[in-house]
Amino acid sequence: MATRDNIEDWLARTAQGDRAAFKLLYRDTSAKLFGLCLRILNDRAEAEDALQEVFVKVWHGAGSYRANGLSPMTWLIAVARNHAIDRLRRRQAAAGGMDEAAEIADARPGPEAQVMARAEAGRVVACLDELEGARAEAVRGAYLDGETYADLAERFSVPFNTMRTWLRRSLIKLRECLER
Amino acid sequence: MSATDLPDDDRALAGEYVLGLLAPDEARAFAARLADDPALAAEVARWQEDFAPLAGEAAPVMPPARVWRATSARLFGARRRGWLTWGLPLAAAALAIALMLAPDLFSRGPTAPVDPAFRAEIAAEDGSLALAAAYDADTGALYLERRGGSPAPGRAHELWLISGDALPVSLGVLPTDRTALSLTLDPELRRDLEGATLAVSDEPLGGSPTGLPTGAVLAAGTLTPA
Repeated sequence: MATRDNIEDWLARTAQGDRAAFKLLYRDTSAKLFGLCLRILNDRAEAEDALQEVFVKVWHGAGSYRANGLSPMTWLIAVARNHAIDRLRRRQAAAGGMDEAAEIADARPGPEAQVMARAEAGRVVACLDELEGARAEAVRGAYLDGETYADLAERFSVPFNTMRTWLRRSLIKLRECLER
Repeated sequence: MSATDLPDDDRALAGEYVLGLLAPDEARAFAARLADDPALAAEVARWQEDFAPLAGEAAPVMPPARVWRATSARLFGARRRGWLTWGLPLAAAALAIALMLAPDLFSRGPTAPVDPAFRAEIAAEDGSLALAAAYDADTGALYLERRGGSPAPGRAHELWLISGDALPVSLGVLPTDRTALSLTLDPELRRDLEGATLAVSDEPLGGSPTGLPTGAVLAAGTLTPA
């Protein structure tokens, strides 16, 4: 498992055009980023394309990530997640519907996998656990499955604006908890 | 309220922005504010950091090797088209690389790398030819030691590197007057050595005239992490 320093070093060298460092970066982070793309897109071929795009972006953007003030792994996760969500939105727009909701729901890990993941997931998970169950699920759905307010409103059977009010309140509570 | 003195509304908005929940026009308007508002930009970064551990709830999945191949081909040029679509230009390039490497084949007194990244046993199935290879990733040097076998009279042994499904690239003709040699791999060739094949073919004296193997492959071995 690569350390933060490793990833930082590989990114810095990638920014200098060091292909060997880029390959090491890929070797040690691609499984995590591919898992995330797969979770969001729930389609293997599309997730493979997405991962390729993500690493093309990483190659070109490695020099600028510090400008965003993010830690290296957070930046990689953000690049992967944003790209996967863009693709998901385009696919949904092209399909013109919400057909994907059921399919995406199936991709959620079982309770056991969630418990294991929680052990590593740190503060945000503890703070999500302080929220009411459905509200924490809504935040997770947005982050991990790229669900929109419309998706969430449908899933939780509440009007769109109610969903938004819920979620914004949840975010403010989360932020308070994260800062405690 | 926090030390950053952002109103709750903006903090929630930053969270929605990071989650991807804003409608496209809202997201654009929000992004436009970020350039001039460092506190807001810091809030966005904070949400990114805070949410990132949630990505750990998506189980890691090893991507298939073709994703790396496609990515590197896209970024660094296509070295991986199929056998049949590679034409003369590639053979010429391979020959050029071989010529470039040739002087290294005659360097004197090579020593095996202390800490090789990869090793390969290049051996004929019937034991008639055997070489050991060790690659030093720090210097790009490929060290070879002939352990047995020599070319037929009037013939030569030529060494080839085959990465993935790319065409064989000649690393030069193996000298017969010494058992150990070291050659420096062209940087282009160093990228994809893990799992690559080293092979020795039977060729006319001076090596293959075409830049691709023309004779029988006598021995082959896979480069594996040392």
